[in-house]
Amino acid sequence: MNQTALQDLLVRIKADAAAAIEASESIDGLRAAESKLTKGPLAEALKSIKQFSADERGSAGKAINETKNAVKSKFKAAQDALRSANIEGERKRAATFDPTMPPTVSQQGQIHPVTAMQREVERIFTGLGFAVVGGPEMETEYFNFEALNIPEMHPARDAQDTFWLTNGWLLRTHTSPCQVRAMLRWGAPLRVIAPGRCFRYEAIDASHENTFHQLEGLLIDKDISVAHLIAFMRLLLREVFQRDVKVRLRPGFFPFVEPGFELDMSCAICEGAGCPTCKKSGWVEILPCGMVHPNVLRHGKIDPRKYTGFAFGLGLTRLAMMKYGVADIRIMNSGDLRGLVSPARLSGARVS
Amino acid sequence: MLISLNWLKDFVDIPASANPRELALKFTTTTAEVDGIEHVEPNFTGLVAARITNVERASGEDMLRLVTLNAGKQYVTLSAAPDLLAGKTVVFGPPGATVGGHTFGETDPAGRKSQGMIVAGQGLGLVQIGANALFLPPGTEPGAPIDWALFDDWIIEIDNKSITHRPDLWGHYGIARELAAILQSPLKPYPITDPALLRNDALPEIAIEIDDPMLAPRYTGLMMRGLKTQPSPLAMQVRLALVGMRPIDLLVDLTNYVMAELGQPMHAFDGAKLANIQVGLARPDERFTTLDGVTRTMPPDTLMIQCDRKSVAIAGIMGGADTEVGAQTDTILLESANFDAATIRRAATAMGHRTEASTRFEKSLDPANTVLGIARFHKLATDELPGVESASTLSDCYPAPRAPNPIELDCDFASRLIGSTVTPESATDILTAIEFTCEPLSNQSLRVTPPSFRATKDVEIEEDVIEEIARFIGYGNIEPELPRMTARFFPSSPQLAIEQRTLDYLCLGNDFVEVYNYIWYEDEWLKKIGFDPGECITLHNPAAEGCARLRNTLIPGLIAFAERNRHHHARFQLAEIGSVFHHGRKDIEAAQHRSLGLVAAQSGARSDGELWNRMRKILDGWGRQVLEDRVDYVETSASHPWEDRDRLAALVVGNEEVGRVTLLPLACSQRIDERLRSWSIAIAELNLTALSERHGRHEKLVAPPKYPQVQLDFSVLIDATQRYSAISKRIAEFEHPLLKRLTFIESYEGKSLPPGKRSLTLRAEAGLDDRTLEDKDVSGFQDAFRSFLAGQSIELRG
Ligand SMILES: [Zn+2]
Repeated sequence: MNQTALQDLLVRIKADAAAAIEASESIDGLRAAESKLTKGPLAEALKSIKQFSADERGSAGKAINETKNAVKSKFKAAQDALRSANIEGERKRAATFDPTMPPTVSQQGQIHPVTAMQREVERIFTGLGFAVVGGPEMETEYFNFEALNIPEMHPARDAQDTFWLTNGWLLRTHTSPCQVRAMLRWGAPLRVIAPGRCFRYEAIDASHENTFHQLEGLLIDKDISVAHLIAFMRLLLREVFQRDVKVRLRPGFFPFVEPGFELDMSCAICEGAGCPTCKKSGWVEILPCGMVHPNVLRHGKIDPRKYTGFAFGLGLTRLAMMKYGVADIRIMNSGDLRGLVSPARLSGARVS
Repeated sequence: MLISLNWLKDFVDIPASANPRELALKFTTTTAEVDGIEHVEPNFTGLVAARITNVERASGEDMLRLVTLNAGKQYVTLSAAPDLLAGKTVVFGPPGATVGGHTFGETDPAGRKSQGMIVAGQGLGLVQIGANALFLPPGTEPGAPIDWALFDDWIIEIDNKSITHRPDLWGHYGIARELAAILQSPLKPYPITDPALLRNDALPEIAIEIDDPMLAPRYTGLMMRGLKTQPSPLAMQVRLALVGMRPIDLLVDLTNYVMAELGQPMHAFDGAKLANIQVGLARPDERFTTLDGVTRTMPPDTLMIQCDRKSVAIAGIMGGADTEVGAQTDTILLESANFDAATIRRAATAMGHRTEASTRFEKSLDPANTVLGIARFHKLATDELPGVESASTLSDCYPAPRAPNPIELDCDFASRLIGSTVTPESATDILTAIEFTCEPLSNQSLRVTPPSFRATKDVEIEEDVIEEIARFIGYGNIEPELPRMTARFFPSSPQLAIEQRTLDYLCLGNDFVEVYNYIWYEDEWLKKIGFDPGECITLHNPAAEGCARLRNTLIPGLIAFAERNRHHHARFQLAEIGSVFHHGRKDIEAAQHRSLGLVAAQSGARSDGELWNRMRKILDGWGRQVLEDRVDYVETSASHPWEDRDRLAALVVGNEEVGRVTLLPLACSQRIDERLRSWSIAIAELNLTALSERHGRHEKLVAPPKYPQVQLDFSVLIDATQRYSAISKRIAEFEHPLLKRLTFIESYEGKSLPPGKRSLTLRAEAGLDDRTLEDKDVSGFQDAFRSFLAGQSIELRG
C-alpha cells in the first residue's frame, strides 16, 4: 500500500462511517457498525503501516490515528444523539402515563374488626408482661360455673343464659373459665389475658348477639388492689381509643369477684346522646371486673391469704363496635363484606 | 323493678332540693344500676270523688250507661266504663274539670247531654287500670277533691339483674335504706303493728309443721277477720299502678303493697277452708290446680303447702284454686313464709311457671321478714278498716333460727385490697349506716355482724364487708395506681401463634378477608348443598329450630358466605379460623379443634386453572412462611359434596394429612344456584391444632456458588392423565455429583404435541464447588440424566 491508497482507504472509512451512522437506528446498530469498521478497514489500515518506509511511517500513522479518532467521536456523538432522542421519545410516551390513577383491582384483604380489636388489646397487655392464652369454646360445667363460685341453682346462672349440649357439656358463656385453667397451669403470681368467643342463649337484635368475643384478663400478685384495677382499665381504654375516655365504675355483681364492678364508658356511637347501641343511656357497659373471689383462687390452688388479684371480662365485640362505629352487632357474624370491609377497599378507590 | 320516689319518702327524708336524676346516678354508682327514671306529673284539675246513685242503660249503644252521681252536687253523665253500680264511689270530673288539657263540659264529644266524665285509670296515666273507672273506698266523702300530689312522682327503674344478689333491695324499704346511707340521712322505722300485740294466747294457734327446715326455714301465719272486699285507698292504688302492679281490691292490694315495700311475698287463704298447715314435698306426679285455673303435674322435689296433708298451694309460687279467697270469705289465713331459694327456683323453672313471688324467693329472702310482713299487713289493714281483728295468735314455726355470722375485718387487709386507707373508725361509720354492727377486736380489726337482711348469702366473708366499705368510699374517690408486679416469664401459646401468623399471611399479605360464622349448622343449608355431616354434638337448646348441630367442618358456612357475597362482588377471598367439634370423644380437648377454612371465588368465564394455581401458590407460601414446612398434595377421593373428585388433593405435612383443597364442582354449585355456574370457587380446609404442635424445619441457608453454574432445561413427554406427583417422585431419584437443584418450570399441552400427551419442563442446575465446569462436564451430566430418564422409561421430548 502506498500513501495514495492509504489516503483513499481513510477517506472511504470516513464515508462508510458517515453512511453507517446515517443507516443505524439503534445504539446496538451503531455499536455493530463501529466495531465492523474498527475491526475491518481500520485494522487493515493499521496493519499496512509496516509496508511504509521509516520516514513515511510517522505521517501515515498520524493520518490513521486522526481518522480513527474522528470515526470514534462521530459514533460517540451519534450514540449520544440517539440516547437523547430515546429519552425524548420515552418522555413523549410518558405524557399519557397517569401516576394518580388508582389500580383497577384493589386489595380487599383484612382481618376481622374484632380480631383487630383483639390484637390491639393484646399489644397493650403483652406490653405489661401478660401472657395470651386460648381456651376451649366447648366447656365443662365445672370450669364455666363451679370453679367460678357459681353453684348449681344460683340465680347468676340465670343471667348466663347458657347453651347446653346434649352430651352434658356447654358452650362457654364467658371467657372466665380461662381464669382457673390458667391458675392451675401456672400458679401465682400470674398475668394472663384470654381472648375468645362466647355464647349466650338470648334473642338477637342490633345490640345483642348469641355469639360474641370477650377478652378475659387476670392479674394475681401480692397486694393487688381496686386502685390497681382502675389504673389498668383506664390505661387500657386510653390506649384503645387514643384519648382519655369518660368512664364510670359502679357496683356489679358477679359471683367470681368480690368486690365486683361494672365499668361503663361514654357511648362512642352517639357521643353520649343516647342511641339503640347504648339503650338510650349514653353509657355502654364495656367491662365487668372485680377482685378475684377467694373461692376462685382456691379452685385455682392459690392461697387467697398470700395473693390477691383482679379480673375483668372485656366485651371485645362491643369495643370493636365502638371503635369502628358499627351500629349493628349482627354485622360481625354475617360474613357480609359490605359491612365488614371498608368500602374503599371493596370496590376500588372512591372518586374524590 | 319500678320504684316510686314518693313511696321512698315514707321511709327517708329526701331534701326537696335533691335532683331525682342525680339521686338515681348516685344510686347507680353506689348500689345498683338504674335503668331509667321518669317524671310522672298530674295531668288533671278539679277531679272529685263521686258516689254513684243510679245506673241506667242509655238508649242506643249497648255499652253506654246513663249514670247519676253525687259529688256534693248531683250530676248525670254518660259512661262506657265497666262495673258501674249504684253505691260505688268513683273518681269523677265534673264540668269545668280538666284531664290531659281537655275541659269537661255539659255534653260528651258526640254532642249528647252528659255532665262531666267518670275518669278512666289510663286517662290519669295509670296504665295498669286501663279503661276501668277508679273506684274509691266506700267511706270516701262525695265531693272530696282528688289529691294532686299522689300523681306527682318520679318512677325509677332498677335493673333486675343488678340486684339478684341483694334480696333486701327487692322492695322500697331496702332501697330507702341504701338511699338513707347515701344521703347520710336517718332511715325511719318500718311502720308495723308490734308483733308482741299479735301474740295473743287467748286466740287459737295455727298448727304449723315444717317437714324439712332446710327447704322451708320459717312459716308464719295469722288468721284475720273482717277484711271486706272493697277498693283500696286511692294513694295505695296509685302507688301500685305506678310501680307496675294492677290494683284489684284491698286484700290483694295489701299483700302486693307489702311485697313492694319489703320484698316479702304473702298469700291469703280462705280461713274457713283450712285449719292447720304442713310444709312438705309433693307426692310423685301430684296434680295440682292453682288459682289461675291451670292444673299442672308437680315436678320432683316441689315444696307444697298442705292442710291435713292435702296440698293447698305450691310453696313460694302460687296458691291453690280450692282455698282461694272469695266474696263469701269472712276470715283469711295470711301466710308469710321463708323458703329455700334453690328449691323454689328449681320447681318454678321445671314447671315453667315463674311468678312475682317465686322471683323473690329465688333471691334467698331474710327469714325475719315473715313476721315483719304480717305485722306491716296488720298495720295497713287496721289503719284502713278499724274493725279488722285477729282470729288467731301470731303462729310462727321457725325450727332452726339462723345464728348471726360475725365476720372478722382486718382494716389493713381492707386498705390493701381497696388501695385506699380504711381505719376501724371509718369502717364503723360506713357499716353502721347500713345496719351492720361493729365491735373492736384489736386496734386494726373489727368484729362485723351483718344484719339479717344481708346475711342470707350476700355478705358471708371478709371481702363482702370490704365491698360495702369500698362502695361507700366511692369508686370515683379511689386514686388509680399501677401495681408493682413480680417478673415472670410465660411461654406463648403455639396455637395462638399459628393462628395469628396465618391471619397475617392471608389477610395482610394475600388479600383474604377474615370472617366469623356461627358454630352451628343450619339444617336447611346442609340440605341445599347436599351435605350429611354424620353424627354431631348437638345443642339441647338451639338458638333456632334446625340449628342444633355443632359444625365439624368450616366449609358449609364458608360456601354460604360465598353465596351471600357473590351478589355484590365479582371476586373475593374469605378466611375463617374457628372451632369445629367432634362427636363421640370422651376428652373435651379432643372433641374440638381449631380449623382454618379458605374460599377464593371469581366470577366470569370459569377460570378453574387460574384459581387452583392461586390457591396452591397461597398454600405453598403459607407452608413456607407460617409453618416453615412443605405442604404436599396427594391424590385422594372425594368425600364431601363440595369436593370435585377430579380436582381435589389431600394436604400432607410431614406424612400427616392435615387438610384438603378442591374446586367447587359444578354439581354442587348448580344445586345452590344456577348462576353460580359461571363462578370458579376454590376451597381449602386445614387442621391448625394438629399443625400448631409441629416444629418448623428451619431450613439452612446456602452460600452463593463460587464458580458459575449452568442451567439445563429438559422437557419430558408424559400421558396427560399421569400425575406430576408420581413423575416428579421418580425423577427426584436422579443423583449426580454435579446436580445442585432440580426444579419444575412448566407443564404444556398443545398442538405441537401428540394427542393425549403433555410435556413437563424441568430445570437442572449443575456446578462444582472447586472449579468452573468444562464442556465435557456438562455433556457428561446431560448424558447421565438422559440415560437415567431412559432407564425410568420416561420419554424425553425433542
Ligand atoms: Zn349511644
